[in-house]
Amino acid sequence: MIYIVTAFHVEAKPLIEHFDLKKLYEPSKFQIFSGNDILLIESKEGIVKSSIATTFAMTKFGAGSKDIALNIGICGAVENAFSKGDIILCNKIINHHSKKAFYPDILIQHSMKEATLESFMHPVKKESLPVEIEGDIVDMESAGFFEAASIFLPLHNVHCIKIVYDFLDFEKINLVEIQNLIKQSIPHIESLINSLLKLNLEFCSNAPEIDNIPLLVNKLKNSLHLTAYMTNELESLLKDYIIRHKKLPDSIFEFFEVQINSKKEGKNYFDKLRKILLS
Amino acid sequence: MTSSEKSFLAKHFSHVYIEKAVLSHPVTIKILENLQNSQIVKIDNYKEVFCRARQNYSLQEKSKKLILAKKWGEFLYPGPSICHNFGYDNFFYTSNILNCIYSCEYCFLKGMYSSANVVIFVNIEDYFKEIDAVLKNKPLYLSVSYETDLLALEKIVPFSSAWIEYAASKQNLTIEIRTKSTNFQALENLKPQDNVILAWTLSPQEIIEKFEHGTPSLSSRLYAIKKATENGWKVRLCFDPILYIEDWKSIYEKFLKQVFGEINPDKILDISLGLFRIPKDYLKRMKKAFANEITSFPYEESQNIYTYPKELKEEMTNTILLKLREFVLPSKIFVI
Repeated sequence: MIYIVTAFHVEAKPLIEHFDLKKLYEPSKFQIFSGNDILLIESKEGIVKSSIATTFAMTKFGAGSKDIALNIGICGAVENAFSKGDIILCNKIINHHSKKAFYPDILIQHSMKEATLESFMHPVKKESLPVEIEGDIVDMESAGFFEAASIFLPLHNVHCIKIVYDFLDFEKINLVEIQNLIKQSIPHIESLINSLLKLNLEFCSNAPEIDNIPLLVNKLKNSLHLTAYMTNELESLLKDYIIRHKKLPDSIFEFFEVQINSKKEGKNYFDKLRKILLS
Repeated sequence: MTSSEKSFLAKHFSHVYIEKAVLSHPVTIKILENLQNSQIVKIDNYKEVFCRARQNYSLQEKSKKLILAKKWGEFLYPGPSICHNFGYDNFFYTSNILNCIYSCEYCFLKGMYSSANVVIFVNIEDYFKEIDAVLKNKPLYLSVSYETDLLALEKIVPFSSAWIEYAASKQNLTIEIRTKSTNFQALENLKPQDNVILAWTLSPQEIIEKFEHGTPSLSSRLYAIKKATENGWKVRLCFDPILYIEDWKSIYEKFLKQVFGEINPDKILDISLGLFRIPKDYLKRMKKAFANEITSFPYEESQNIYTYPKELKEEMTNTILLKLREFVLPSKIFVI
């Protein structure tokens, strides 16, 4: 699943249209759209709201380690080194207020610029910029999103993509322009998603037999009346055996049919099985 | 790595994280000269990046990042008991660099750190100051390439040369630079020093291909060793770790024949021989990140160290020792 968190509907709309997402009508405090293995949630403005929306989505929909989370939205650029419409993948995200810094793991190539982003609780004006600002760009959500998402997912799967909209001069917001900027950035976002999917698929896959281990262990636990300790040991031994031999031991299926009449008998069978798995 | 993998993975050191305190350190500047296309990210402390939770070690190995930092506190550590002291009393190690550019499946670093990224402590001058102070009171035998392969990183940061030049003026210091690199040419212009041991880890080509990802071939390592001995360097051969694999007897027999077919044993200072062994906690962590033949072997534990079961261990050690003694005097062989 790809989790996308935007602050406002105007930022979400081009993504909803492009990925053909449909509104979810389950009761929720948030606007959620889904389809094609993508879930988009609109958090509204601010670090805290972004964090809450991210946590809600990832908890409600059961985020797993191969899932991806992206925070997409507009930002302001501190320096004129950037131009309006620049698409930026953040390599450092600072919560201005807590001074906590977050670092996504950028393991893949991408077509965006990179920069440090600083998140504020309030809109920032150029003339009132704090002296100690470190970010090249600023927003009001990313730090909350990142801190929340990185509790659920590994760091290479959590990213903030920001599109430069203003230069902290409090330019009047033009909704159509924002939509167009987001729309223009979609090919870059899509390319990043594809590379992340490839990374997770090609390098994080287990042998198919390993995926079946919980099922096998459960069957053996029942047939041999194993204790919790023995069950854990069995799981580890089975996994190691499959890695070494690239298959299950042929004789394992005999253990499924065993009839146990006493604890001692169960232990004897377990010892026999352990010996096989250690070979 | 195949070309399709290369096409979407970021290159090693695509990002350099630099502690603000060392941004203008001469070593930092020198390193950045070689990495002009890398993204620079300023950080306060290397641990912010190196010790983050939820890093994926095995994926990071595909695209390692560089972290430049300043070392504080302790600079020298007592040599661990699972390593040989080669008869030296004051065996210490030091770590200018954490982690390695190579990806050997058996490496203890995979169990030691939560990150595959490489940390370089650029303030080498502080290491030297600390050692100067220690040397006033006692001699030192110092492993300087303990948590990395210094020579393999010589093009990024010339620390092997720096250590050799430092050792040249110290009578009561002996240093060992252990490596799998073939980058001997980086040292060729230096004068061989009596108190510097270049130690090459050697493995059969079968093991290199299967477990020592990204490392040079056996034949190219042997070529580098030959050059080093010809140039007058003291060279140690490390057959460590010896790994249990199918057909290990014939593979290691063929390997020793090849090594001593190319290298004159008389030109070698000594040899260290050790079977795979690893602290219990490290293996536990390695198992979480890597599911492979190394981590899944049913080892036996003794004093918090995992190694091969006693009988197998004895058989492997004795077989290899016996073969080794056909080529080398027993007095030159150190077994751990």
